[in-house]
Amino acid sequence: MRSYKYVGKPIPRQDVSKVFGDAIYAYDVKLPGMLYAKLVGSRYAHARIKGIDLSGALRVPGVVRVFAGDDFPFKVGLYAADRDVLARGKTLYYGQPVAGIVAETLQAAEEAAELIEVDYEPLKPVLTIEEALSPDAPIIHEEMSKYRHASFVYPKPGTNIANYLKLRKGDVSEGFRKADVVVEGVYREPLISHAYLENWVGTARVFHDGTVEIWSSHQSPFAVRHLLAASLGLPEGKVIVHHTFTGGGFGGKAGLLLEHIPVLFSMRLGGRPVRLELNREENFFFMAQRAGYLFRMRTGATKEGKLVAHYGEYYLDAGAYADYTVNIGRSVGFVPTGPYEIPNIHVDSVTVYTNKVPTTAFRGFGMQEMHFAFEQQMDKLAQELGIDALELRLRNAIVPGKSYLPTQVRVREDAGDPAGTMKRAAELIRLGKEIKKPKEPWKFRGVGMASFWKGPVQPSNAASSAIVKVNEDGSIDVLVGTGEMGQGTINALAQIVAEELGIPVEKVRVSPARSTDSVAYTWQTVGSRGLFSEGQALLRAIDDLKNQAKEIASLVFRVFRDEVEVSEGKACVKGKPWECITLAEMALGYTLPNGRAIHGPLIGRGSHVPSQTTYLDPETGKGEPKPFMTFGTGAVEVEVDLLTMRVKVLKAVTVLDTPVINPGLALGQVYGGAVMGISITLNEELKVDPEGRLLNPNFTDYKVARAEDIPDEMVAEFLGVGQKNAPYGAKGIGELTMIPWPAAIANAIHNAIGVRINELPITPDKLLQAVMRQRPELLEALEKELLEAS
Amino acid sequence: MASVLHFRTTLPNFTYRRPSSLNELLQLKAELGGEASLLAGGTDLLVDMRSGIRRPKVVVDVKGINELHLLEHTRDRGLVVGASVTLGELGRNELVRFKYPVLYGAIRKLADPSLRERATLAGNIANASPAADSVPPLLVYGAKLELASLRGRRQVPLREFFTGVKKTVMREDEVITKIIIPEPPEGSEGEYFKAVRTSEDLAVVGIAALFANKTEPRERIVRLGFASVAPTPLYMDSVEELFRRDAPINELIKEAIKLVLKEVNPITDVRATKEYRLHLVKYVTAYLLRKYLG
Repeated sequence: MRSYKYVGKPIPRQDVSKVFGDAIYAYDVKLPGMLYAKLVGSRYAHARIKGIDLSGALRVPGVVRVFAGDDFPFKVGLYAADRDVLARGKTLYYGQPVAGIVAETLQAAEEAAELIEVDYEPLKPVLTIEEALSPDAPIIHEEMSKYRHASFVYPKPGTNIANYLKLRKGDVSEGFRKADVVVEGVYREPLISHAYLENWVGTARVFHDGTVEIWSSHQSPFAVRHLLAASLGLPEGKVIVHHTFTGGGFGGKAGLLLEHIPVLFSMRLGGRPVRLELNREENFFFMAQRAGYLFRMRTGATKEGKLVAHYGEYYLDAGAYADYTVNIGRSVGFVPTGPYEIPNIHVDSVTVYTNKVPTTAFRGFGMQEMHFAFEQQMDKLAQELGIDALELRLRNAIVPGKSYLPTQVRVREDAGDPAGTMKRAAELIRLGKEIKKPKEPWKFRGVGMASFWKGPVQPSNAASSAIVKVNEDGSIDVLVGTGEMGQGTINALAQIVAEELGIPVEKVRVSPARSTDSVAYTWQTVGSRGLFSEGQALLRAIDDLKNQAKEIASLVFRVFRDEVEVSEGKACVKGKPWECITLAEMALGYTLPNGRAIHGPLIGRGSHVPSQTTYLDPETGKGEPKPFMTFGTGAVEVEVDLLTMRVKVLKAVTVLDTPVINPGLALGQVYGGAVMGISITLNEELKVDPEGRLLNPNFTDYKVARAEDIPDEMVAEFLGVGQKNAPYGAKGIGELTMIPWPAAIANAIHNAIGVRINELPITPDKLLQAVMRQRPELLEALEKELLEAS
Repeated sequence: MASVLHFRTTLPNFTYRRPSSLNELLQLKAELGGEASLLAGGTDLLVDMRSGIRRPKVVVDVKGINELHLLEHTRDRGLVVGASVTLGELGRNELVRFKYPVLYGAIRKLADPSLRERATLAGNIANASPAADSVPPLLVYGAKLELASLRGRRQVPLREFFTGVKKTVMREDEVITKIIIPEPPEGSEGEYFKAVRTSEDLAVVGIAALFANKTEPRERIVRLGFASVAPTPLYMDSVEELFRRDAPINELIKEAIKLVLKEVNPITDVRATKEYRLHLVKYVTAYLLRKYLG
């Protein structure tokens, strides 16, 4: 990568207000006369509501109104509008909101909560993918045929299938005929939680002219605006969504969350402000979590180590609402394998309803889960073929410009460097080299790797825009719509502006706070697309601004526009550095020596829409799904302790092919992604009992990694192989940093003790069972060591 | 049971009292009995009040009573810990660190530093959780509790204190005033092994092991205390007796593991399976015995 002054430099974050406690979050927004809303949940995972008695709650002093399902007879949603505001007729999961109380104080609302009486007729809950698909399964969404859904979603009314995606490439039976080795596998991941720090909160008010205003914790202000408008039948122009700092999202705050609830309550209460704030338990029940997964795979290769066929049945356990998860079912369907060229692929990806908590997007959008399965298939094939795990990957790695995607489109020439990441990661983890032996005989070490790829999953017209304004002192304000939730995009954007205009980065302000009525539009802050998309819009806005500066300078110095260049915060005539005007002098237009002013304030505007992506063929999936793919490889060294059955990740290596704008913040992403991935691998699971009751809606029993779980050593490298149209070549990395860990750790455990684990999380209980089944001699050795040795 | 699920953010209403003498506290307890809950660190009480497990009419804060802040050591009585002494204080105490290493180790593995600054040793005991980390070490050190009511004071060995999950021999009008931990056996050593990911976790299994006079069979002291393996924390007299026998250590260890496995009765719950708990009990106990005796 070329050397720049600001781009590619680890410049510390400009938004330090969190450190000083100055940062404003949605929780901090309180309005005069504000009421408090409280939701209460169903006691049954699946039941008919025979009656609901709100009278006790209404008698509590301070209670203003109590709402139930029939007050809001419509559905809301994004890709599949399957969500009730409050349960209507039936409850679909344990904890589903059945009533909402609005009171003058939160305490009054909470006193009233326990007085609500619901009369249920319990129905059989559907709790697993297998149960949901069985022919005699109870149907969860009986009126599915009436739901609105996006054109690319294919639900099957009369079943529990929320979306069915088919991907067909080549001829898979022919492919398997050519295969010398075929490996099969069944892999599972449970439902998990995003476990972001900031619980959801939203405060809404409605003006007398019908304008709706809301402050809430979300990722994508414009998606919230659009979906609120679409769901409630409001014009977009009458909805104002305020974005503050967001305390973590990880996909869990993409799209529309619960914004419609305080808005609807406020509408019914004469526009009085209404606040709904969730505590941690409520956040587990009322906010959507991540789907569970089941993959059945069969993958074939020739004895030369060439992949020739892949067959897959992929299932997503979407819980009670598949609104967003239907699109993840598509995501894993059209990128159904690791970053390899496979000529023959046949995959069905089915998103299934169950009576569990609803699910939504999650960092990686299905790619972590798919790679957990596929990258173990690769290691199994390598073992069967007697080929080194790295070598097998290299022989099949996507070759930009030559290989074809599973969706049958050729990979662009400048797509990146998959093989480079594989080689470097293997080198950094010392794959195939001797490993130090721990002194305790019951501890074992192993290494493992997993390669991956991912790009954003978005509508083909997912747009971005940017506005650049010059202030009187020559400083710059940038208006973009991307949300700030810790990922640091706004800092990278500031660096780009500083680089392009040649001004100190401190003079560029990209405010994290924004409102949909005052910043430029962007589709969503998801899919690791922020920098890639906003960056391109911003570069165009800067060009626009520069052109205006050149125009002014050309008039002042009486030269052609292309004789002027903009750098160091000035517009100068080329080769005449004494003929310059500073941005500050031009900020509000330029005043000539005789007092006449020209041009007016400098304001650049730019927009971007991916022009390459297309719709996908409904029968085969053929088409271009992504504006870019980032390639990478993760590798780990683990220590498996058979005394405690715990796995410790000692070293985690990440290699990504892309250049980055800010290597400091990129490292932050890598470290955070690795710790999150390790946590998901070893700990995280939403557990339900046989009645479908969630057992661990709290951080006592829902285990998230803590400081002690961080590997002793984390290494990251960026190879700097950029994509031409990306800003300074930089592709997205936010989600990519957490994709490889489950697969790499599972492969490393196999390397350490010869035990294969196909299901997350890899808890001590599960490891114990797997060891007992697959390598009982390891336990006999432990017994001998501790109980028989003398 | 209410017919809807709801999760409070605010606490339900209660009356707050803060007596300044033990006598005042005991009077309140006599008057209110089960309607009053004692507040020391509040790390269990406030959680239970928010979740609705406990709903006291009166919350009695015991931190205003000087006597309960006592922390002193004498040769004849050992360490005396008042009911308001926090785990943080104990974790910083040099005497605890060097004289009672098993207790010290358990405290340092209990929750996290900020929580330990509020939580008290007496609270960890009174809550009567089978997973209480401080209890197995106190069991192996032979700790006693002093209970007080208007009727008088009595001492109860900790080994006889627990009767079930969240159940103890305490009467409704009684409070714990102090914990008395006798002088440890001369030259004793040992540790608390907590099978968890990180200390903030509740123990999947906790094992306290104390050893002294290892080479002299008749004088040998081997004491084991367990958390999260039965409805109450467990102390194993039988193991202590077994190790007084003059037999090869290997034989005794094997025998001890048999005894231990016979006495424990772990369950499968949201944190771990019974099978895994038994694996830990068996092999970690063997590991500890071997480490100190082998």
